[in-house]
Amino acid sequence: MKPPWVRPRAVVGLLAVCAVLAVGPLLHGDLYAHNLVTLTFLGIAAALAWNWLGGYLGQVSFGHAAMFGLGGFVAARAQISLNMPMVPAWVFGGLVAGLYALVWGHPTLRLRGPYFSIATIGVGEATRLVCTYWDWLTGGSSGLSLPMQVGLKYRLYWYGLVLAALAVAGSYVLRRSPLGLSLLAIKSDVDAASDVGVSSTRLQDLVLFISGATMGLCGGFYASYFSYIEPGDMFGFDRSISWVLMGVIGGIGTIVGPALGAVIFVLVRQFLIASYPQLYLGLYGVLLVLVILFEPLGLTGLALRLAHRFGYRERPDLAT
Amino acid sequence: MERFAELLIASILLAGLYATMAYGLGLIYGVLRIVNLNHGGMIMAGAYAGWWLHEELGIDPYLALLPVALAAFLVGVLTYGLLVRRLPRGAAGGVQSLLLLFGVWLVVRNAAYLMFTGNDQTVRTSYSTLAVPLAGALVSVNRLAVFAAALATLVILHLLLRKTYLGKAIRAVAQNPESCTLVGISVERIYMLTFGLGTALAAVAGLLGATLFPFNPSFGAGELLKSFVVVVLGGLGSIAGTAIAALILALVEVFAILVIPAYLTAAVGFVLLVLVLVLRPGGLFGQRVLG
Amino acid sequence: MRGMRSCLFVLLLASPAFAADKIVIGATLPLTGSESRIGGFYKEGYELAFEETSKKGGLSVGGKKMQVELLLLDDTSTQATAASLADRLINSDKVQFLLGTYATNLVESQSVVAEQNTIPYVNGGGAASAIYKRGYKWIFGLLAPVELLADSMMKWIDAEQKAGKLPRPATIALLWENTSHGKDFRKGVSDFAARSKGGYSVAVDESFELNGKDFSALLGKVKAAKTDLFLADAHLPDYITMQRQYVTAGLCHKILSYGARGSEKQAAEALGKKDVEYILSAVWWSPLLAAKNPQAKQFVELFKGKYGGRTPEWYQALGYETARALFTAIEQAGSLDREAVRQKLAALKIPSLLPGGELTFPAEFGQQIHAPFVVQQNLSDGTSPIIAPPDAATGKGIAPNPGCPK
Repeated sequence: MKPPWVRPRAVVGLLAVCAVLAVGPLLHGDLYAHNLVTLTFLGIAAALAWNWLGGYLGQVSFGHAAMFGLGGFVAARAQISLNMPMVPAWVFGGLVAGLYALVWGHPTLRLRGPYFSIATIGVGEATRLVCTYWDWLTGGSSGLSLPMQVGLKYRLYWYGLVLAALAVAGSYVLRRSPLGLSLLAIKSDVDAASDVGVSSTRLQDLVLFISGATMGLCGGFYASYFSYIEPGDMFGFDRSISWVLMGVIGGIGTIVGPALGAVIFVLVRQFLIASYPQLYLGLYGVLLVLVILFEPLGLTGLALRLAHRFGYRERPDLAT
Repeated sequence: MERFAELLIASILLAGLYATMAYGLGLIYGVLRIVNLNHGGMIMAGAYAGWWLHEELGIDPYLALLPVALAAFLVGVLTYGLLVRRLPRGAAGGVQSLLLLFGVWLVVRNAAYLMFTGNDQTVRTSYSTLAVPLAGALVSVNRLAVFAAALATLVILHLLLRKTYLGKAIRAVAQNPESCTLVGISVERIYMLTFGLGTALAAVAGLLGATLFPFNPSFGAGELLKSFVVVVLGGLGSIAGTAIAALILALVEVFAILVIPAYLTAAVGFVLLVLVLVLRPGGLFGQRVLG
Repeated sequence: MRGMRSCLFVLLLASPAFAADKIVIGATLPLTGSESRIGGFYKEGYELAFEETSKKGGLSVGGKKMQVELLLLDDTSTQATAASLADRLINSDKVQFLLGTYATNLVESQSVVAEQNTIPYVNGGGAASAIYKRGYKWIFGLLAPVELLADSMMKWIDAEQKAGKLPRPATIALLWENTSHGKDFRKGVSDFAARSKGGYSVAVDESFELNGKDFSALLGKVKAAKTDLFLADAHLPDYITMQRQYVTAGLCHKILSYGARGSEKQAAEALGKKDVEYILSAVWWSPLLAAKNPQAKQFVELFKGKYGGRTPEWYQALGYETARALFTAIEQAGSLDREAVRQKLAALKIPSLLPGGELTFPAEFGQQIHAPFVVQQNLSDGTSPIIAPPDAATGKGIAPNPGCPK
């Protein structure tokens, strides 16, 4: 029985897009574009995972690279030392990362708003330093090299597609379901929410875990894609920032906004790289300021405004 | 024993710098209830300003303190007037102002990168490596000067807040903005001036830091977090509280090398931040950080 | 802007097709980001090699003259970008061969792409031996491993110890930047000490963060340990910071070294001549090699001619020689077939400007050259002569440090 909050149009839409993307590579031979899209899938999944905590729950994290890195290194280590096959290693990495998120996140989520965000910067940096020191897990500053597998990078496209699709579906479920309503309630007013029986701690922990675990899985994917990872790159503050930017510019708290942000990110990177590689941080800074001041829902908000112009109206239960 | 004295002196001198850094952040939060994520950016800007004045015009960094502070004050006022003012006050604006100022920080970082490249810079004066013996240890003249400057700044700040009309108005707005309008204080104007003041303090701290350490456009992130530790630990509104909290942070950082590997001492500040937030969010003096 | 010229290349070669009489060689370098200073130097080396070859009419490939062209992109000192751009160069711009980028982690990441696409990748920017221990066949390294750097320095120190100038056993304070460079340096020193049968013991062994600011607590620990030797490994900014704090703290050791750092002009400017005296350094190449190595002499003259009399450092020399190695292999193969060129690279043995005078990629080291390092010391007259190895030496080193109070 399909739950009433699942709109058939959305399901069909997602499946159609996936079908097109799945078949796409067989029709064109551009290997570079193929790989670029694989990385975009990864970016989409990661940005959406970040958004579950940052957008749905309203707790903006500047330290999500901690889970990404931890998941990546655990997955890599598992494959190297325990001969674990690739996908189970990713899942294993994700689980460890999710648990780690609970360890630091559970006590920290009591803090509201900006204080939580500041704490996440501390967590991110502390994790980076400790993991760079932890030679066995991460190879220290030398990093870890995974044995090269011919043709893996090409096949990772479809793994990435599945990952991104699951993240989109998960975002939809988390938002539209009764669970999503509870999250909205917590985001608006924690105390009022518990007054009406929403067990905020349990729910927050759940979102924290899922967000962290997905991030960790993405880290594992990244490790398999590049076959070499090192702590400075995996745990970097700039990496954490990129998800904040994708989420906010794309549309924080919306269902696919961050996915849009991820795509924009990759595209802009592509065009800036040739001519103005040193400008992209400043550009995103300006975009961020503009979004905050004029359109809090970012590009998704802009798109909705345009759609309203053309007479499109959402169903009343869609409270973006 | 000799080592103990040496480490203790190092901590005290460092604490002066940390206190100055933290006060700018604390002031803005205390009055406007905004976390200024551009604090790191302004610290870095102060460092570059002092360096540039020294490189191009030969001005000694300590003489540059006043002009840099004034310039930063103006920048802060502008930032408030053009950007921050548009955001809702209070809890609703919390994360938004955080993100807004974060965006500003990114722009400042990029601007510094374009103007000065990403290479590390240092301020080298004739007295950079001079040291004097003090209680059995050799202490850098630079560090003593930084401590003196930091102390002077805090004293001036204390006098400003306690003795002048402006200072009293600032404290009034921090306590109860609504009633302030009743007695004719323009709250918006106070917000603007406070933001400017907090920015100026950040730049001063940055300039002082530049005489001690090398810096590049990424400078400021670690300092931001340390400022936060001090603010949360010390509570708001009390210079004495800030000073003590700064000393505690400096002591923990410096003495940590006796127990953990040198590489990990860099993580001490971050871990302390998370612990303080989680265990003692009210600070030592009971201010509320929750809700 | 530095990126502009390279981007012009990209625009011109927007379509993958290229003229049949031109060899397009792809490369990325960190032209912006944390390694941009050195990336710019490598670019000078590459461009010099390409220009020199163009002047000769190009390379002689199987009897036909073909021009060479460099397609250089900026990888912004980021690993993922370096790998992605390599992908783009190979699959979109369809370059024939690749020259490497600078910085071990970038090379390690990028070389995976080269191996996956079976394209020769010749680099002078990745020193970590880990890069060459993966059994890859298409990667060739001109930068000798950092363990050898430590080893070369320890050999000279050992000779001084045997001559009675240094105590036996000698204690060492070993500080290393927590990067793969630093880790390898530490390994080199520790291994040498372990093999020395009691000649050396490492009393302090601590790592510090890259771009750290405050080393005073760490230096305090070193001071308390009162060791004979102080061996550190750091990038230029950390070297300057640490040495400044070292001098301020009143430290002095019989032997003082910062690994590959020491004789840089910037350091002398930032610290003052007095504060860098007697510092030992070991480096991959020095312009002073021109005194006894004809290839080095030729390169220095060529460089000075193109860049207004400026003296090159090891970065430009390595960049130049890396390109030259690829060019030679292409000419020897007589074709543009990647496997043929790869085989010639694997078997390469030519005279070179590198210390030791020979360029070869031994299979036993994973195709990473194991050329000796030049050890230099800053003397009080402002010069930094080469003091080891003997066949390249231009002066004599001094131990123990005469600047220390007795």
